[in-house]
Amino acid sequence: MAKSIVVLRAYQDGLHLNITPTFSVTEVTEAIRKEFERMNQPLAGVSVQIDMNAPLLTEADLAYLKTELQDTYGMEVRGLNIADGTGDSTGVLGEKRPLAARAERGRIEKTRVVRETIRSGQTEDFPEGNLIIYGDVNPGGEVSAGGDIVVLGALRGSAHAGMNGKLSSVIIAMNLVPLQLQIGNYISRPSWGQKSRGYPEIARAGTEDIIIVEEL
Amino acid sequence: MGKVIVVTSGKGGVGKTTSTANLGTALALIGKTVVVIDADVGLRNLDVVMGLESRIVYTSMDVIENRCELSRALVKDKRVEGLMLLAASQKNNKDDIQPEQMKAICTELRATHDFVLVDSPAGIESGFRNAAAGAEEALVITTPDVSAIRDADRITGLLQHEGVEPINLVLNRLSPEMVRKGNMVSQSDVVGLLNLKLIGVVPEDREVIASTNRGIPLVHNKNSPGAQAYMRIAKRLTGQRIPIPELREKGFFSNILDWFSGNK
Repeated sequence: MAKSIVVLRAYQDGLHLNITPTFSVTEVTEAIRKEFERMNQPLAGVSVQIDMNAPLLTEADLAYLKTELQDTYGMEVRGLNIADGTGDSTGVLGEKRPLAARAERGRIEKTRVVRETIRSGQTEDFPEGNLIIYGDVNPGGEVSAGGDIVVLGALRGSAHAGMNGKLSSVIIAMNLVPLQLQIGNYISRPSWGQKSRGYPEIARAGTEDIIIVEEL
Repeated sequence: MGKVIVVTSGKGGVGKTTSTANLGTALALIGKTVVVIDADVGLRNLDVVMGLESRIVYTSMDVIENRCELSRALVKDKRVEGLMLLAASQKNNKDDIQPEQMKAICTELRATHDFVLVDSPAGIESGFRNAAAGAEEALVITTPDVSAIRDADRITGLLQHEGVEPINLVLNRLSPEMVRKGNMVSQSDVVGLLNLKLIGVVPEDREVIASTNRGIPLVHNKNSPGAQAYMRIAKRLTGQRIPIPELREKGFFSNILDWFSGNK
């Protein structure tokens, strides 16, 4: 990975903004601007955690950085993680947190509940929040949500989570055998003839345009 | 008061007309009074399958345009008592009929008959909407291939939207040999995806083509497996509880099993 002062990366619990030590706050803000420009992706509404490998910025600088992210980019800072700087530099980066440890835990979000199967030709859109389907999404059916999508049955059709660009959105299905998955503007298509694995799975945006699917 | 059941599938060629003719005949054979309506205006062929082509004088279009009474437009089946056909006009096209007019015909017929089966045209446009307009129940026909299943799913969504309930599933042309070789979607996969109540499985039967060409519905040939399947579906439609045998290839062992379970 090319060393940049600031790197935005996706992890199991969502996006992290990793800041490398030994820079002043003005350099950091400039690096953030460049990094976001390079990504060329809508970041408004995206929740991010700031990771720092050393306590190099003052409280005031951090507060400034937080306001900057919220006001200029419309992002939401959900947490701050500062390592003491003595450990190896990947310590914070490499850490994998379980889903339950998300900083969004307990937050009330707008969610639409659909109590039926979405059949071929039917669509369900909920740009304002999350979507829960008490049924299947059949081939030819399409569901999309501004936030997460949870299918309490088989997802055999297409699903688009984070339709407004929220890359921390996830897609969960008890049986994940989709025609196509989309998170933000990442699109993925399972390899041909993929069979059900028989356990619930979760799909989330990884780095570099890929969608990671793993056991829930 | 009888039941109005629309027979539909979305996709063409999966056996809507064959199923309508055979279920109508089967229901009449077990003593019910039945009208089968061909709703495929402009492309009628239910009359051909039933061998009644030459007897049609009036069609549903004549009834709608008040050229004749509904009872006079019904064509009596030549083989079974209690079975009538209401033919579609060949001269008109599907937009010449409105859903309310179709509904009025169905309402009138169900007052005097036990079953009214409406043979829907393929597709999801006005022809299908007309056919479904007067129906309270539906039979969705599908074959075990992905395109037919996809269309059946689509049509099921539309029927549910119209409030048609119950919607029963007929799995047509299932070949046990192909399922065993893994070349065909299995019965449980189809039911699992469509999530409908399976009312019958009709095995692939070459006799169907021959009987269609002769204009004699298959159910008259009592030895054919297809005929027996249609007879069972007809009985289930009248409320009888008959278990659905899981189709498999006939071997010595399964024959013995069938013999013991009376499933022959």
